Amino acid sequence: MMATKNDSWKIGYILLLIALPVLALLFSLCVGRYIVSVPDVFRAVLSRFSDGFEVSKLSYITIWNVRLPRILLAFVVGSALSCAGLLFQSLFQNPLATPDTLGVAGGSSFGAVLSILLGFSLIPMQLVSFGFGCLAVFLTILAAKGKDQAMNTIVLSGIIMGSLFSALVSLVKFTADQEQQLPSITYWLMGSLQSATYSSLLIGVIPIALSLTVLFLLRWRLNLLLLSEEESCSSGVNMPRLRMIAILCATIATASSISMCGQVGWVGLIVPHMCRMVFGNDHRHLIPACISFGGTFLIIVDTLARSMTAAELPISILTAIIGAPFFIFLMRKKGGWSL
Amino acid sequence: MKFEIKDASFGYKKGKSLYENVNFSVESGEMVSILGPNGAGKTTLLRASMGLLKWTHGMSTLDGENISDFEPSRLWSKLAYVPQNNHRGGSYTVLQSVLLGMTNQIGMFSTPKAKDIELAEQTLDRLHILHLRDRKCNEISGGELQMTRIARSLVSHAGIIVLDEPESNLDFKNQMIVLDTLTKLSSEGIGILFNTHYPEHALRRSAKSILIDHGKVLFGPTPKIITEENIESAFGVKAYIGQFETDNNMIANVIPVALTDHEDQKNTGKEDCDVLATLSIICSKYEESERINSILHDFNDILFGRMGMPHRKRDLYLISVNLDGSAERIRMLAHQLSLIPNVSCKVTYAKEEL
Repeated sequence: MMATKNDSWKIGYILLLIALPVLALLFSLCVGRYIVSVPDVFRAVLSRFSDGFEVSKLSYITIWNVRLPRILLAFVVGSALSCAGLLFQSLFQNPLATPDTLGVAGGSSFGAVLSILLGFSLIPMQLVSFGFGCLAVFLTILAAKGKDQAMNTIVLSGIIMGSLFSALVSLVKFTADQEQQLPSITYWLMGSLQSATYSSLLIGVIPIALSLTVLFLLRWRLNLLLLSEEESCSSGVNMPRLRMIAILCATIATASSISMCGQVGWVGLIVPHMCRMVFGNDHRHLIPACISFGGTFLIIVDTLARSMTAAELPISILTAIIGAPFFIFLMRKKGGWSL
Repeated sequence: MKFEIKDASFGYKKGKSLYENVNFSVESGEMVSILGPNGAGKTTLLRASMGLLKWTHGMSTLDGENISDFEPSRLWSKLAYVPQNNHRGGSYTVLQSVLLGMTNQIGMFSTPKAKDIELAEQTLDRLHILHLRDRKCNEISGGELQMTRIARSLVSHAGIIVLDEPESNLDFKNQMIVLDTLTKLSSEGIGILFNTHYPEHALRRSAKSILIDHGKVLFGPTPKIITEENIESAFGVKAYIGQFETDNNMIANVIPVALTDHEDQKNTGKEDCDVLATLSIICSKYEESERINSILHDFNDILFGRMGMPHRKRDLYLISVNLDGSAERIRMLAHQLSLIPNVSCKVTYAKEEL
């Protein structure tokens, strides 16, 4: 009796996690300033693999060259940022932690704007940005490494490193050419998924997929992060190593995301909270949920950002406008949650 | 299994020791309590013993092996720690919380399987809290939470369980539940080491005790350690240790009366002279009577006129023996017998001879 109830719950849960992004994908492929009907979407997708399907050239290009890479980027970035946010909240036992708590965002942004200043093309810029994001976290941990590695010290040095790099970003802005470089720096900093291409996706997706796989496999052990230091220590698990792996994975995922599309705010804060309200604090469910919900959320928000108005809205504005009311609704219904 | 601390010293600052020459041991089936005033370093003593803090000198051993040579996963499969009751543990359900105690046995990239969940449920059942299985840890009572944490320490199959003030902040009933559970676990062969603020809990539950008295760590049989003089010296409180008589037993109790006035002459203690006494014991199970026999055997030197087998009447075993020996030795015998659950035992002393 108990077992069957549990099993059906599990199957429903897995189906939901798969169905949501698939539905969002379909919705997003159809919607835009150029509306494609659902049968046309299927025809366009299938026509790539067999000759039996007729579809207009415009629909084909819209689906395959414009919308699909962008949707994939949204899904990957949404998943990565949500998981990174989830992890930092658990690591620091702090509900306010976000993916850039350790200064990743500052570092990656600096790498990107520096590349714009030096006139790099997209792919080298992505690599430089990723590198600086990782460097920032490395410096944060180096700064915090003392006699006792208290989590609060790491958070504090992360904040310091973040502001150091944002000062450097301002310095670059200050020296940049006001006609051309400054606008593109400012636009990049606001975050946009517009520049999605398959080649930039490939570079960014591999590190994200690797780090999310590691986190998914570690999902049971991650539960130890929420216990007190003494309790987790006496579980016999090497906690400093587990924490380092978690920080490393979250950093790589965040730095990759930012290097592809700039800073997308809010996702890394609210999606993990929403998942906690629905699934509790068990990371066995939270990691898959964050991958699915985070990805779905960003696909939907990005679809709205590009189709609601004639000019495309910066995505961070919409993540807040859509996320905040939904978050408040869940919080009031579920009575919040505690770490 | 034997958990032993040998010639250990500890200090937070260099050159300044909190205590030196710490020697004590906990064996399978033993229950050892640690007493000491606030700030004496009871928790520190536990943490240092388990290697969570480093001894400045000396070492802790498990079956003769220095624990600093152990891999953490091996150490914590033999030793379990239940820290003080102040962290609600991430609002997991009781079952999840108990399963976390098994993480060591679950593979690095694995999740708990059906057999792990079954073991966790059996452990909850063993502690009579299976009904709490799906409740959240931040929504259950303090007593229920403490039982959950004890369940978590049990699922790792540790042979020695170390608890930091397991009965603090609990009401009478929950204190009793927790202490009865610990007594039961120790009778099942687990070694228990625990901190407590209550001298009477040490007196009633543990055969051996540790008292931290101004940097000295005393260890020995409880009646030798928990004495009026030692309590006065360690806590600065004048206290009387008395016997409280119930229908079944004489129960030792510690009653604090006044703060020690330093001008006062210290109590020199009662003289330890030989007395005559008779001891009567009633128990209900044959195994208990065997255990009683083995304790009596250890005190052969003060026994005389021993009857043969215990009398059996209406499914109860009645034993009575005569004693001639030092008052302290008689007290120790009575104390050891009083630690066995469900056994009634009383000593009647002869009137003092003039």
